[in-house]
Amino acid sequence: MLRPGISRTALAVYLLTVAGTAIWLSAIFLAPVLAGRGSAGAARIIYAAFSPICHQIPGRCFTFHGHPLAVCGRCLGIYVGFAAGLVLYPFVRGFSKVELPSIRVFLLLTLPMAVDGAAGILGIWASPIGVRFATGIVWGTVLPFFFVTGLADLFLTRRKKAAARTLEKIRVNNVE
Amino acid sequence: MNQQKPEYLRPALIAGAIAGVLSGLPFVSAGNCLCCLWIVGGAALAVNLLAKNSGVVLTSSDGAIVGALTGIVAAVVSALMAIPLRPFNMELARRVIGKFSELGTDMPSNLDGFLDSGSGILSPGWFLLSLFLSATVFTVVGVLGGIIGVSLFGRKKAQASPPTAPLPSPPGSGDAV
Repeated sequence: MLRPGISRTALAVYLLTVAGTAIWLSAIFLAPVLAGRGSAGAARIIYAAFSPICHQIPGRCFTFHGHPLAVCGRCLGIYVGFAAGLVLYPFVRGFSKVELPSIRVFLLLTLPMAVDGAAGILGIWASPIGVRFATGIVWGTVLPFFFVTGLADLFLTRRKKAAARTLEKIRVNNVE
Repeated sequence: MNQQKPEYLRPALIAGAIAGVLSGLPFVSAGNCLCCLWIVGGAALAVNLLAKNSGVVLTSSDGAIVGALTGIVAAVVSALMAIPLRPFNMELARRVIGKFSELGTDMPSNLDGFLDSGSGILSPGWFLLSLFLSATVFTVVGVLGGIIGVSLFGRKKAQASPPTAPLPSPPGSGDAV
């Protein structure tokens, strides 16, 4: 039995997101392990899965078991930050709020990564992998507060609409 | 309460096509390496289009739906664009990696083999697998972008709407769902 004020839908979305994030992070570290053990085909599939969203330049990736991770340092920071945000979510936000967080917080936490990325593209400086990782963590931490809340609202809205349709059918059947 | 349902498909097709083209073009596609910039931006653009064309106040669920559709469209468009551009992209990747090698960066030993195999004709099975993987990833990222887009663009209608008298809440109602 859940405590009053806790949305079962939001909790379910949260737990699914935690599971998905764990699988996502595991895959990032699994790719170099498979490459190191000679399973090049399987490793290639995992590297290919992350290739649409990461340049995977080996010089900008942390290594694990002698091979680069499936994503670069900045992307790894984002995903680690996302996981950290998920850990904080129940304490900071809980499961009863349906409003999205303030966009100002999002823009503020995006700033370090945006500045670092823009400076790199413009050739002003080339930040070390640790800085990329750290700026990624800062941005990734705020993302679950939008993702989980928004998805919970989506499923909650659909459940309410389905319930309303069922009630309407019952009402129509009773009238007939 | 306005019961009009927003039309998700058209904004998703427009924004998804733009995001897909940007994700498929050589050099330009590197934008996705900046936190999936084109997909997140495309989903936010879809929300913006939805907010302009829709007469309802958008919720985060609207953003999630249109964002997911945008991600799927972008994945299909970029996958189709990659077919004729694949040899060029592989040559570009080879030159970039060669440049890093000249700078003394260690490269994985199997990379040359990967590039050689990737320069050939794309098999249908690999194409479908690649499409499935990118569609899955772009959909999740699109959902995130759509929700963020609602925070950016979707609340303006609520602020512009005239204030209405609050409805009396029924006795015994609470916040729990």
